[in-house]
Amino acid sequence: MSTVDWKNYTPVLLPDIKDLHKIDVYTKNGGYKALKSVLTDKKKWEGPKAVIEEVKKANIRGRGGAGFNAGLKWSFMPPADGGPRYLACNGDESEPGTFKDRKIFEYNPHVFIEGALIAAYAMEITTIYVYIRGEYKTYIDMMEKAISDAYDKGYIGKNILGSTFSVDFYVHSGAGAYICGEETSMLESLEGKRGYPRVKPPFPAQKGLWGRPTTINNIETLSHVTGVINNGADWFSSIGAPTHPGPVLYGISGHVNNPGVYELPSGVPILDLIEVAGGMRNGKILKAIIPGGSSTPVLRADQLDGITMDSDSLRTVGSMLGTAGMVVMDEDTDMVDVLWRIAHFYHHESCGQCTPCREGTGWLEKILLKIKNGDGEVRDLDLLLDLTTQMEGRTICALADAAAWPVRFTINRFRDEFEARCKKKSHAVA
Amino acid sequence: MPEIFIDGHRYEFEGEHKVLQFIQDLGKEVPFFCYHPSMTAPANCRQCMVKAGQYMKSRETGEYEVDENGDRVIRWFPKLQTSCNLMAADGMVILTQETDEQVKRAQKDNLELILINHPLDCPICDQAGECPLQIQTYKYGPEGSRFEVKKVHKPKRIQLGPRVVLDAERCINCTRCTRFTQEISKTHQLTITSRGDKNYPTTAPGREFDDPYSLNTVDICPVGALTSADFRFKARVWEMNQTPSIDITNGKGTNIDLWTRDNLILRVTPRFNADVNDHWMPDAGREAYKIFNENRISRPQQKLDGEKVLSSWNNAIATLSEQIEDTDNTKILVIASPHASVEENYALNKYTNLLGLNTPVFTPHIEEGTGDGFLLSDDVAPNTNGCRLLGFKELNKSGICKEIQKAELVLILNDNLVDRSVITADQLKNKFVAVFATNNSETSEVADLVIPITTAAEHAASYVNVDGRIQRTYRAKETKYTNRRIDLEMSEGRLDRYGTNFDNWVTEDNKIDCMPMWEIVNNLADATGIDINFRGGREIMDEIASSVSNFSGVSFAAMDEHAGIQLSIKKETSTSK
Repeated sequence: MSTVDWKNYTPVLLPDIKDLHKIDVYTKNGGYKALKSVLTDKKKWEGPKAVIEEVKKANIRGRGGAGFNAGLKWSFMPPADGGPRYLACNGDESEPGTFKDRKIFEYNPHVFIEGALIAAYAMEITTIYVYIRGEYKTYIDMMEKAISDAYDKGYIGKNILGSTFSVDFYVHSGAGAYICGEETSMLESLEGKRGYPRVKPPFPAQKGLWGRPTTINNIETLSHVTGVINNGADWFSSIGAPTHPGPVLYGISGHVNNPGVYELPSGVPILDLIEVAGGMRNGKILKAIIPGGSSTPVLRADQLDGITMDSDSLRTVGSMLGTAGMVVMDEDTDMVDVLWRIAHFYHHESCGQCTPCREGTGWLEKILLKIKNGDGEVRDLDLLLDLTTQMEGRTICALADAAAWPVRFTINRFRDEFEARCKKKSHAVA
Repeated sequence: MPEIFIDGHRYEFEGEHKVLQFIQDLGKEVPFFCYHPSMTAPANCRQCMVKAGQYMKSRETGEYEVDENGDRVIRWFPKLQTSCNLMAADGMVILTQETDEQVKRAQKDNLELILINHPLDCPICDQAGECPLQIQTYKYGPEGSRFEVKKVHKPKRIQLGPRVVLDAERCINCTRCTRFTQEISKTHQLTITSRGDKNYPTTAPGREFDDPYSLNTVDICPVGALTSADFRFKARVWEMNQTPSIDITNGKGTNIDLWTRDNLILRVTPRFNADVNDHWMPDAGREAYKIFNENRISRPQQKLDGEKVLSSWNNAIATLSEQIEDTDNTKILVIASPHASVEENYALNKYTNLLGLNTPVFTPHIEEGTGDGFLLSDDVAPNTNGCRLLGFKELNKSGICKEIQKAELVLILNDNLVDRSVITADQLKNKFVAVFATNNSETSEVADLVIPITTAAEHAASYVNVDGRIQRTYRAKETKYTNRRIDLEMSEGRLDRYGTNFDNWVTEDNKIDCMPMWEIVNNLADATGIDINFRGGREIMDEIASSVSNFSGVSFAAMDEHAGIQLSIKKETSTSK
């Protein structure tokens, strides 16, 4: 495994520039150059297709969790027919442990706006929506300001920078539902409906928002587009792990000294990443991490040797990169408690559409609560594992999977701890 | 032709088919709850899981690829698929619970999950006996439950609207009811509230579920979550018998089922007819079950010295035939009825013809504003077009009044002309008025002679709806003179089959002392020396078909086979809105 040179990396999404969120500062530092280039430099960019090809070549893997090649996703859009086409930017960011997009909204909103505009140009999109979770009230206001500034400067609106390309840009606030981060229920929510995930097919590229072709991208993914256009696909794909290239915003939380968002290349060794975040709090010993948001399978400390933060490396130990929102847990962590809290979250957030998830998430939480309270039995663990197979892959969206995986992997990887908790009661009675 | 392989059998198909519907149409079964053939498939109950795959075809030759054993190569979908929203494709391979253990297990797992928060109060639930959840749990469900923690509690006995009551705990969130108000009745009155296992359907705060089609949600609810405020706790499903019929409270001729117990109609539910009402019916038609039970005229009545007294059938017939003989033919007015069947009208007409009286007249019963462009028309009589096709004279209000002024003897076939303000009671003064009626009314009140006739629930007869479709009813209720066990066309419920007259669930009083109109005509003809001998609705319809060209080709058998027959009517006379 080649090691990634992350120590000499200079951040591009979150560079150390004061007041970068102001449009003047952003343009002074090379902002909106990429947009100008694709719109006006006809020699370099022969049209929208050329932009898609470049992004496809850069291999920006979706930062929302699924890791799908963004350029490839863009190429699924059917040819423009004169009707409306939409870009829905997913800033719902509701997976526990994930808080990276917030930093973009806060410190560098224009890099995202510029990336989204380039994406809109590439896919001949007429309207962009950015869906931001309702809890981010401050950042919603900041985005509104940034977008309005960009309108004023002529980067959004009719005939942008004198070209024939016109697009509108709106902020849409969520109302506190995890499920609205799922791409199709986000579309429902944008349409003003109850956030129920849609049945696929038809896929959003065919029938998305109001039945029209729609592409959904994560905020971070779109932000990377600006860099790809400025510096080229080769620059991007040379950063970090070859199969999952580019800079990644790592959101590190939990028992570390300096929790926060760190922009580093992909493929940073997990143990190094903990050091980047200031090391373990109070000098405690690392017990486990959840690599990329609460639905990704937990990893024991003894599984982490040589494992880096990219999808291929994590797959070898049975986990996923997800959103790169890493939760670090020290030796004092009660895994039963952790799992119950995660199960409680998914129970609370299940939209209730599909039977296995609606009923299963509640059942999981109730059994875990029983175990947590010391009333559990060892057979409950097997029931939990059985329930995860009953839920996984049987629902419209992946929330049931997201609820089932933590249960399965936490129990499998910390079975001793769970069994000990289950036996306590019978021991006490005896 | 494209082919699909289901459980190892090959079927050909044309056009677009959902796999679940295709399997059902073959007479096979896959369990489901949320799917409904007339609405969109949300695939949310996850019950109709099947294993799906595709036989691989070679790109060059277009032939199926085969492996080393000569078997066709199948590429299976990575996950089990819900068959309700899976479109049949050429070369598709489907394994259902019949042949695949994984599918069987998945369906069993899903039922276990559906049931964990279901109250399992079947013994007190109205849906028991006709409950898809109950039936499919017996067929495909687990033997027991591993659920040992507390069930979720939700609101119970919520009066959603004037006619519908919700028990949210029974709800399995199939969203059939909310989709009904969105896609079919388009009132958008119901929505799902709350999240996860706490969600249930309800109205917007402060709003009533007063959709004029609200009770359809009770029919399509696959559990007992939505129940009819009126029918709730009235009867168990297995105690009733179910008889096909036609809604006679509106000109649309909605196909219905009458549910009878102990010769009382207890509820009305819609019956599928793709050409008329699909799976639906308006709430208004359901309340009509009362007209079959309540306020009925039993035994003929006659006015003596201004006082109504019960009469014998012989006396009633003799009185009427004497009146007819004693009155000048031109002074006799026969009023036919859009509220009576084709056969009743025809029988009366034949009698008046043979007597040499004027052709019967009738006046349509239009109530402006009733029509809604869906299953209600402004014409609220079930057989207006039947009267037209029989060639009766159509009169408006003033026309009828003029005719009445000239008449001395007025015969009115089941039409409450006074109640619906076509004529006034005063206009009938000093005339002999004989009505053939099913229910007491202001019209029967002013009559000198009241002869009780059977309702649509007691005779088999046909009605022509506003669109010119002729459809027929079946006998659902016994009269004093009919018997379920002799009449092979009558349905029998469990109590009917096993009860005797001495059982306490058999109430003789629920049988009305009335006769079909044609039998009364037979008797009248006898008394006046005319040769008429009608045997029943079936034979009368055969006679009509051969003697009235508008009805040629119509017979009970043909109507049964095609769920009614479309007759050609003049479009401008149609009152369909």
